[in-house]
Amino acid sequence: MSLLARTALAVTAGLFAATSASAADKVVRVWHTETEPQTIKAFNDIARKFEAKNPGIRIEAEGLAWGDLEGKIMASLAAGSPPELSHGQPITCTSLQAKGLLAPLDEVVKAVGENNIWDQVKRVCNVGGKQYGLVHAAGTSLLIYRKDLADKAGLKPPKTWNDLLANAKALTQDTNGDGKIDIYGITLPGDNLFVNIIMGELTKANGAQLFDKNNKPMLTDKKMIEILEFWRELAKYAPPGWEGHGYLQTFQNLYGQKAAMMFQGYGRGAGMIEKFAPKEMANDKTFDVWVKPHGPSGNAPAAQVDEEPWMLFKDAKNTKEAVEFLKFFYQDDNYLEYIRTVPIHFFPVTKSLRQSESYKNTEMIQRWKGWLDAQEQYLEKDWGKPTLIVEWSDMNDKPYLMEVLGSGILRDMVMDVVLEKTEPQKAAEKAQKRLEDLMKSKGYWKG
Amino acid sequence: MSALDNHETLTGAVPRMAPARLRLPEAVTGILLILPAIALLLALTCYPVLYGVWISFFNKHSFFPQQTFVGLDNYLFLLRDPQFWSAVWLGCVYSVSAIVLQIVLGVGAAVLLNEIFPGRNILRAVVIFPYVVPTVIAVILWKWLLNSQFGLVNYLIEQAGLVDQPISFMGKDWIMASLILVSVWQFFPFVVIGVLARLQTVPGELYEAAHVDGANAFQRFIHVTLPQLKSVLFVIVLLRSIWMFTKFDTPWLMIQGGGAETYIRTLPVYTYMRTFAYYEAGLGSAMAVVMFLALAVATACYFRIWQREENL
Repeated sequence: MSLLARTALAVTAGLFAATSASAADKVVRVWHTETEPQTIKAFNDIARKFEAKNPGIRIEAEGLAWGDLEGKIMASLAAGSPPELSHGQPITCTSLQAKGLLAPLDEVVKAVGENNIWDQVKRVCNVGGKQYGLVHAAGTSLLIYRKDLADKAGLKPPKTWNDLLANAKALTQDTNGDGKIDIYGITLPGDNLFVNIIMGELTKANGAQLFDKNNKPMLTDKKMIEILEFWRELAKYAPPGWEGHGYLQTFQNLYGQKAAMMFQGYGRGAGMIEKFAPKEMANDKTFDVWVKPHGPSGNAPAAQVDEEPWMLFKDAKNTKEAVEFLKFFYQDDNYLEYIRTVPIHFFPVTKSLRQSESYKNTEMIQRWKGWLDAQEQYLEKDWGKPTLIVEWSDMNDKPYLMEVLGSGILRDMVMDVVLEKTEPQKAAEKAQKRLEDLMKSKGYWKG
Repeated sequence: MSALDNHETLTGAVPRMAPARLRLPEAVTGILLILPAIALLLALTCYPVLYGVWISFFNKHSFFPQQTFVGLDNYLFLLRDPQFWSAVWLGCVYSVSAIVLQIVLGVGAAVLLNEIFPGRNILRAVVIFPYVVPTVIAVILWKWLLNSQFGLVNYLIEQAGLVDQPISFMGKDWIMASLILVSVWQFFPFVVIGVLARLQTVPGELYEAAHVDGANAFQRFIHVTLPQLKSVLFVIVLLRSIWMFTKFDTPWLMIQGGGAETYIRTLPVYTYMRTFAYYEAGLGSAMAVVMFLALAVATACYFRIWQREENL
């Protein structure tokens, strides 16, 4: 036999052996939405450690862009081959649970320790006392502001929307006296997801509701009109063309000294500030956080919690192995490795980790302590809720919120008021009609 | 009678023949041979189209099997849906503007590249570059260039004193123009390729004759070049119209991660939203059918006008 033939045979045999071995593995497919390289690396490291301890199980993790996730989940379900685990919006979780597509994660909750998880987190996708979604990390939205400028202008923390408008006005400044505005009072995101997130927050902060208990849209309610009036006023202090700015560009506006406040900030921004702002400014003495103010008809602040739950798909092949992996993932050592990749944004869902010295001693956590304390306050006082959730009962009673978000109706309504100068009442009536049509076509509201 | 009539080949071998009773008529053999291709065509083209038309009569979830027959309700809904008409209008503004600019720029560039000058071959290669860049890369690239905070375009126009403040190219007032700009940049090379190929086959005598008759460069372009380009432009306009009117990726990518979406919500984008954000596959299909019919009618009219022009 020639050398070439022998080599070919050996390679074929090797490949066959490798294929046979991997075919025997139980594969746990995991879809997540964390696309930062360091997070992907940490997650994969945890997966490899788990595989080493559990021979015969393989974790196949895939990071997906937010925009792709819902469609992929739906398509995989329709094709009958969902992954074992996936991230999702809390409202996606309840929507899928209502269709009987998810399996509970109570075993994981038990392993982590029921009392070890924040109450707020346990309310996410909890149906009939069963936990159908377990949040991987909870980061609340933050009102970030330029402390140096606010102190110079003698501004106080805003308690109400009117206070915030006054601060935004005071911080909109022509710093070099050439008659042009150099720094705007506030930066706002204009893309659909974030406008919906803000609408959910403002609805809560003004004691309003998006839908009544019969699922009738409530957009023309007086409290909702107040929200649109607030949008109209607030946008006056945002950089021109703000409606074209996405989440990342609002951060650019902040650290690039184009805006003095950021209404929809998140802990992830601390990393961006450290990376991109001038060195002498990259600290929480310059970029601090205020508690979000409430509206004229509300009495408590409200924030959105960025908390995608892990969902376990009932029809997936290796659900038991997936549960074992999640138990491993939430073990303090492993979980810390994951949380540390974006430490100010990934607020740990376990109290044990939050209180552990190794967590507290993380350098970046010490540098941005104020930001984390603010997030803890939102969670502890139950001021923070997932996107478009106004009351906790909405999680289970309103399985259509995902479609509401995707439809862009709320965003169009805001843009009608702010950009097209439509009267809030008229814009609300137009959006109300569209939302009613949507609810009727889905069979959630008879009209 | 020739030797071959005795079923002998030129090499002298006698091929084996099926018995006469098993031999199929030529026409049947032909049909059998093209049958796989027809089956493939039906399965891959006709079935999806017909299925799309079929589900447009249902209220159907995009991913789950539940569906209810609603007859023409989806089409009636579209008739009174302002969002749909707004999408039709925005789609027309986008496609017509982009096509006109692509043709003008493409023809101009092709005429230039048909001339002889140093570096012509390099320039011919460079001009094709935008067309070979994947759309996703092209859009990301342009979004960087047009960024109001750190974009090169804003930097240059501010330095040139053309504007006081950076322009928000992804905002309400500029996003459509930005979208058209990106599309023209990316697709005008298609026009260049087609027109340049045709220009290279135009006989030089025509230009010489025009020159002798005293025609200047502009007159030679109008009276010699353009008539010669008529047939190739016919095909280019037809193809580009179909492609631009159904263009989804460029506008969709423009609004990912920020961008005043409402102002470039063209019909393909709205169709996608209805199907994958509202999960209304029935309504989405109805919109796709309307788009298909509109294009079919427009194409038929275009052919008719063309034929009439030719007769003239």
